[in-house]
Amino acid sequence: MNPANAAAGVPVPIGHLILFLVMAAWVAFFAILTITRRNPVTAVMSLVATFFGLAAIYAALSAHFLAVIQVLVYAGAIMVLFIFVVMILNREEVAPLALRPMRLLGVAAGVYLTVTFTQVVLNDYPMNRAPVAVSETYGTVASVGDMLFREFLYPFEAISLLLLVAIVGGVVVSRSHQKEVAAQRAADYRKQVAELATRDYPGAQEELPAPGGHH
Amino acid sequence: MDIPTAYYLLLSFVLFLIGTAGVLLRRNALIVLMAIELQLNGGNLALLAFARELRDQKGHVFAFLVIALAAAEAAVGLAILVGLFRSRESVNLDDATMMKR
Repeated sequence: MNPANAAAGVPVPIGHLILFLVMAAWVAFFAILTITRRNPVTAVMSLVATFFGLAAIYAALSAHFLAVIQVLVYAGAIMVLFIFVVMILNREEVAPLALRPMRLLGVAAGVYLTVTFTQVVLNDYPMNRAPVAVSETYGTVASVGDMLFREFLYPFEAISLLLLVAIVGGVVVSRSHQKEVAAQRAADYRKQVAELATRDYPGAQEELPAPGGHH
Repeated sequence: MDIPTAYYLLLSFVLFLIGTAGVLLRRNALIVLMAIELQLNGGNLALLAFARELRDQKGHVFAFLVIALAAAEAAVGLAILVGLFRSRESVNLDDATMMKR
């Protein structure tokens, strides 16, 4: 990137800036609420608020299609899934936070990320650099869909296959094993009874009726 | 909106950091999954900001694929949580030590 090509030093319109800062503060506030609440239901609701704020930010970036998808898929489908599981698994936490030596590695990663961001990204994209203008159709459903179904048809099909596998995997992993456990216990019990019978009455196995049979 | 790209990148960075903090610090597996969603959203925001900067819609397609990936991840992750809860009666990550030692 060559920042000299862009018109640097153009002041940001104050109204747009205030609007953006309100949305950014909304997103950051609810994101922090998501990871600090003890009650998972509150956390899910904060996450929904975060996703709505992000949809507004996407719209501000003229990513209209992605803003709609964000609300439909994230705030809609994924969050409903979360709510259902939270309702199933709701348990009180004793000590929600854990800070162990291993996790200090994460703090180091965060510091590294901060340094990289301020040194590299803000160097290439300074805060006062004017944004590029995009065309009217940029980010609309029509133009993104056109690209999705022509240039990115194979990735699109691959991701639909991935979703199918995830559905089947989810059903298999979370399926209840109670019936199989009960069947196994019954089989063990019958085996134990047969062993006791052969031990206490040796030579009488032939006279024992077959289980379930009528003689 | 005439907001420079750096503002969006800063927000995506903050969002990713909050998500990382949630993944590293929380014990409740549900909250950890939500924090992973926050990280994915931070990445998505960066993709869209760079897509506008470069006037290229490929970033939008990638963000769309990331959202589908997040849906798959949430489905499988929550299924694993339900399975963990069935065997351990807990969603505390410190209790999930079956494969330790």
